Parts: sequence; structure tokens; C-alpha cells
Amino acid sequence: MELELGLALPGSDRTPELGVHGEKRASLCRKRGVDEMLAKATLPLFIQKDNDEDGDDDSRQSKHLQDLNFSGSRVLVGWPPVKMWRRKSNNCSRRRANCVKVNMEGVAIGRKVDLSLHDSYQAFFLTLGQMFPKKQHDGEESDAAYYKVTYEDEDGDWMLVGDVPWEAFIQSVRRLKILN
Amino acid sequence: MVRGFGWAAAFPDEVWEHVFSFLAADADRNAVALVCRAWHRIERRSRRRVFVGNCYAVAPAAAVRRFPEVRAAAIKGKPHFADFNLVPTDWGGGAEAWVEAMAEGWPHLEELRLKRMVVSDDCLELIARSFKNFGVLSLVSCDGFSTAGLAAIAANCRNLRELDLHENEVEDNCLNWISHFPESFTSLVSLNIACLEGDVNTSVLECLISRCPNLRTLRLNHAMPLEKLVSLLQRAPQLMDLGTSKFSADHHPELFFKLESTFAGFKHLKSLSGIWEAGPAYLPAIYSVCESLTSLNLCYATIQSPELFKLVSRCKNLQRLWVMDLIEDNGLIAVAASCKLLQELRVFPSDPYGVAPPISLTEHGLVAISAGCLMLHSVLYFCRQMTNAALLTIANNRPNLTCFRLCIIEPHTPDYISQEPLDAGFSAIVESCKDLRRLSLSGLLTDRVFKSIGASANRLEMLSVAFAGDSDAGLHYILSGCKNLRKLEIRDCPFGDKALLDNASKLETMRSLWMSSCSVTLGACRQLALKMPRLNVEVIDERRGRPLESWPDDFPVEKLYIYRTVAGPRSDTPPCVWTV
Repeated sequence: MELELGLALPGSDRTPELGVHGEKRASLCRKRGVDEMLAKATLPLFIQKDNDEDGDDDSRQSKHLQDLNFSGSRVLVGWPPVKMWRRKSNNCSRRRANCVKVNMEGVAIGRKVDLSLHDSYQAFFLTLGQMFPKKQHDGEESDAAYYKVTYEDEDGDWMLVGDVPWEAFIQSVRRLKILN
Repeated sequence: MVRGFGWAAAFPDEVWEHVFSFLAADADRNAVALVCRAWHRIERRSRRRVFVGNCYAVAPAAAVRRFPEVRAAAIKGKPHFADFNLVPTDWGGGAEAWVEAMAEGWPHLEELRLKRMVVSDDCLELIARSFKNFGVLSLVSCDGFSTAGLAAIAANCRNLRELDLHENEVEDNCLNWISHFPESFTSLVSLNIACLEGDVNTSVLECLISRCPNLRTLRLNHAMPLEKLVSLLQRAPQLMDLGTSKFSADHHPELFFKLESTFAGFKHLKSLSGIWEAGPAYLPAIYSVCESLTSLNLCYATIQSPELFKLVSRCKNLQRLWVMDLIEDNGLIAVAASCKLLQELRVFPSDPYGVAPPISLTEHGLVAISAGCLMLHSVLYFCRQMTNAALLTIANNRPNLTCFRLCIIEPHTPDYISQEPLDAGFSAIVESCKDLRRLSLSGLLTDRVFKSIGASANRLEMLSVAFAGDSDAGLHYILSGCKNLRKLEIRDCPFGDKALLDNASKLETMRSLWMSSCSVTLGACRQLALKMPRLNVEVIDERRGRPLESWPDDFPVEKLYIYRTVAGPRSDTPPCVWTV
């Protein structure tokens, strides 16, 4: 299954350059509604850890997390190389708990996640994966299940998680919804 | 019977000890220890300072056993890239093993400096109890402890001279830890609490400062309001190094006047930092000390260029300047004209993620500095554009550079005028600056730059590479050249197995190698580990659930940390780390 990763506008004729690892680089970044995102379902942003993974799945998973990192320079982990401590100081923000509710579509009981304990999308998705482990519907060795994670921002709009830099995300997120 | 060098016995041990006491550098003492058994014995018994660049390179007990009379120890833990969130938080670098061994074998220890280590409150308590003459505790970029641990240090270290807490993650659970310094405690010379987040009781601090006449360095955290800062500082006019707290408040002329006269009272102030959230209203209060300052750290001060310019252009004797890119090219041109003694410049990005409108800081600022500041030897510069011509000019202007770290914020950025890679520019730097010891690359770079570095950078000890190179050849050039390379850290480059395996023996001459998001496979790591038993080859992968043994050879390694060690594989690896 070929997975096409693109953060450009749907229907845009912009072809992002291929980078060193074959990742696509798109530097467009704007607010994009959920409808838009669902219409062009190309983007598995949240990869469910599978228990019976095989080599192929592993490398594809790692590529996806890499794509998440390389999809736009702003979502790179640890780049630019500014010390964590300095970033906190510059924001002049003390670490205070930043709990947001997480609901999964079709699941009655929601969870809460403290965003202040995470410093990157990668760490955040790991936590979500632990909070909402995927059960296999049948016994078949299917591909790892993909979730789409959306969030409601301060304006009340529902956005796709991952479009903006982490620091901007944690300031504007109000609550989260995982779509099945 | 062969006696070896008979002349060693010509003088009693004490004489040799005295001779050796003039050797400050570890390398010299190491050389002396290799001459003969007698010198080895005398040297090891008389070594007073030990530096352990990688806490896993040697077993703590072995180090303590070899040098029984150590008074000062410095130990480093996590790899440098831990500063940028690339190393899992549970990777390691715990201080317990070392502190326990030192408590046992070095009861006379006076100084301990730890960097990038995980230090628990238990560790701090053990330190506080174990060393009767403990004088200096320095924790840099550490985590794992709280103010309760600091309270133990305050309460028990009767002869503490220096408490230096620099950029640590400290949990605040003991608000009054400063009050644990007993009334009889008067020995403080240096106190740096800039990284603490919580409020510090000002009156307790004032008492402490008043009874410590030798206090020279005081760096406060941002929590203290400006009015309280003023009354505190009036108790310590002898300060040489000051880190202020928050430097903004509602404008009160009286407060400004008090602040100004307090600063005018500092006759010995050489170093100034802090100035958090500085507003233009209070900044002029500092003007009276500017002339005497040799070190100025404004990287937490979000002041704009005009105010920055007014401040910095008064600092005629500045040797070190750390500032935000808000200073802009114009500000740096002013610095180049005013600060003729400048040796070290660091310019940090005020907006690393580019969400705000762009700042007018470009390559021109750095070129101006390189032209105007003849003593400049150390540079850290974040910017968004660069040209080969600018780098060439800088290289020609400043062949005395020893540290050049350039970070062009967007990866793969070419020369913005010619659209060429920046190979020529960085090559000029390494070819011209013969004493370059530290280099960080950025921008669009091909294998050619690595060829130059490998060939010319003979004194280079630390190299940081990101988003650069075309192929394995790049890594091969570095590892087969760079005679003095100690630390190499690489991320997101197409470097892989062949270069690593072809240069396996080079890795034992280095302290460590970090590679993340490159093209190394598990098979190569296995081969390397087999070939080089005195290297620890650590594969780090946070996403997998099953053990490394079951993965195939062509499995791509996400993060790799290789370091030389005489202690064998470590026993404290977390689930995400495998020693191959």
C-alpha cells in the first residue's frame, strides 16, 4: 500500500521536493479544517503500535514517524538546536500541568493527558498509544491501525494534530479527539 | 636485576610529587604516569583533580582506587544532543554509582562538578554527609533532584564555598531550602540559583548574603520582584558577578533611582546576566557598570535593538557577549565598533520556530564582528541566511577562531545569492583557522566540505553535523582525517555502515560518536561491536517492544551512541537502549 504524505493544500499542484530520506518537504503551513483533511485521507499521523509486528511494518512505521518529523522543518525534533531549558525560559512559562481531555470516537470513557509532561509530538503520540491500545478485530495479521488525531483550538476550530510547531500546539489546544 | 630508570630513586617521592604538582593538564600527568613504575605510583598518589568526560568510560570504583587522593572531580553523563531532546530521558547518566564510590574512597573530596547527569535527592544527601571538607558543588544541565536535596546540602556542608546550579531541571518541593544554611555559615563565595523556578525567601537570602563577606558571585532566579532585588543587592556591593532576577516592574521613578544607585555602588562588577524580561524603563539603571563589564549575558532579555544598542555600545571592555538576535545586524555593527576586546559572541534565536515576523539579523552582523573584533575566537550564531562569500571573509578576518558554531535555522539552506552549497565557505573556515577546536555545520552541504574538514581540521576536537552530506564518503573523510577528533555528533545525514566499519579503530581514539536518523543498519553495529570490544555500541530505539536479538541485520538503526570504555557494557540500560 502506497502512502502519500503531503501537507500541501488538497488539489494543489505543488510537488514537494524529496529530501535525503525520501521524505517530502512541504513548507506550507496554515490552518486546515477537519473536513478538508478527511476528504483527502492520505495522512496517517498516529501509528498504532502493533504487537505482532514484522520487519516490514517496523520500517514503514519508522518512516511514518520520520515523515511526521520531516514533513515541515518546524516539526523536527530537537531542531533548531536550542536547549530545552532556554526555550522554557524564553516563554517565561513555569511548568504547570496542562491537562486536556482525550476522547476516542466510539469509546464512552475519555482520558486526560498532561501535555506539560511532553516536549514533542513523538512523545505525545507514544503516550496516546499507551492510553488507547488497539485491539485486533480478528486474528489476521493486518497492518498497524492508523488513527487520526484532531484537536479543538482556542478559536473552537477542530484541527489536525501535527500541523503547527509543538510549542504553538500546546498553547492553543483545548481538547482532543481520536477518530477511528 | 633490571631496575629500570635508576634516577627515579635518586630523589624521594615527595620531591617528584612536588615537581608533578606543576603539571596542571591531565594529558601531562597521564604522560608522566607512563614513564616508569615509580612515577606511575607517585603520580597516582598525588593526583588531586580528575576529569571523567564520559561517566561510563570507566568504572567508578576503578577510578577511585587508582587515584586515592583526589580532591576535585568533574564528571559528564549524557551525550550533548540530550540538550535538544534527542536522547530518551531514561537513557542513563545516573550519578549514584559515582557518588557512592566517591563517598567510600574519597572522604576528603572538596569539589564535585556534574554535567548532564541524573542526580537524585539521595545523591545530594549522600554528598552532604560524606565529605567533611566539601566546598564546591556544580550541577550543570542535570535533573532528578529537588530543592529538598539542596536543603540537605545547605544544612550539612559547613564549608561550602560554591553552589552553582546552571540550567538544571529542579523540582520545587522545599520552598524554604535557603533557610537550611545555619546561622554560623559564612563561607559562601558563589551562589547561582538562576535555574530555580520557585520563589526564594528574600529576607532569608538577605541574611545569608549579609553574613558572607566573601561573596563574589550571586545569580538569582527570575522569581524575585525588582523591589526586593534592590534591597538585596544593597547588602553585597562587593559582587563581581551578578545575575539579576526579573528586570521589569511598573514604572516607579523611586524604584528606578534606587536601582540606579545600587548599580553605581558596584565597584567591582565584571559580569552581568539575568535581566529577565527587561523593559526599556529600567535598563538605563545598569549604564554605570557597563564600562567595567567583561561579560554580559542578555540572552533572557527580550529587549529590542535600540535599547540593546544603547546598552552594549557602552561596554567598551566586553570580552564575552551573549545576546538574542533581536540585536540585529545594526546592533552587531555597533558592537564591532565599540567592543574591541570581544573574544566570545553568542547570538541566540528569539523565535526559533519562525512564527513571528523575521528579524533583520543576517550574515552581515557576523561579518562586521569578525572585522571589528580582532580578539574574537569563539562564535555561536543562529541566523536564517548565509553566503560562501561571508564565510570566506570571516575566515580571512579571523584565523584565530577556536570555536565556530553556525546554525542556519532552516535545514539544507544554500548560499542565498549563488544558490550553491556552503561547502566553499566552511572549507575556508577550517583551512584558515588552524587552531579550530570546535565546529558546528549547517546549511546545504555536500561531501566536499567533509573532505576539507578531514584534511585541514587538525586541531578539531568536536564536530556537530546535521542535514549534510551526500553519501558515506562524507563520514569517511572525517573519520579518516581529523587527527584530534574527540566527539562527533551527527543527525539526519546519509552516513552509513561502510564508513563506520572502515574506520572502526578510529572510534577508540575518540570519546564518543552519536548518530541519529542516518543510514546505519543493525548488522553494521553488530560487526563493529564484535570487532571493537573496547567500544560500547548502544542502539537506542524508543518504539520497539521486542528485544534486539530478534531483529534482522538490515534493520535501520534510529539512534546510535558509540563510546570507548574500559568498563565493559553498562548494567543500567533502560528498555529503549541495547548494548550490541
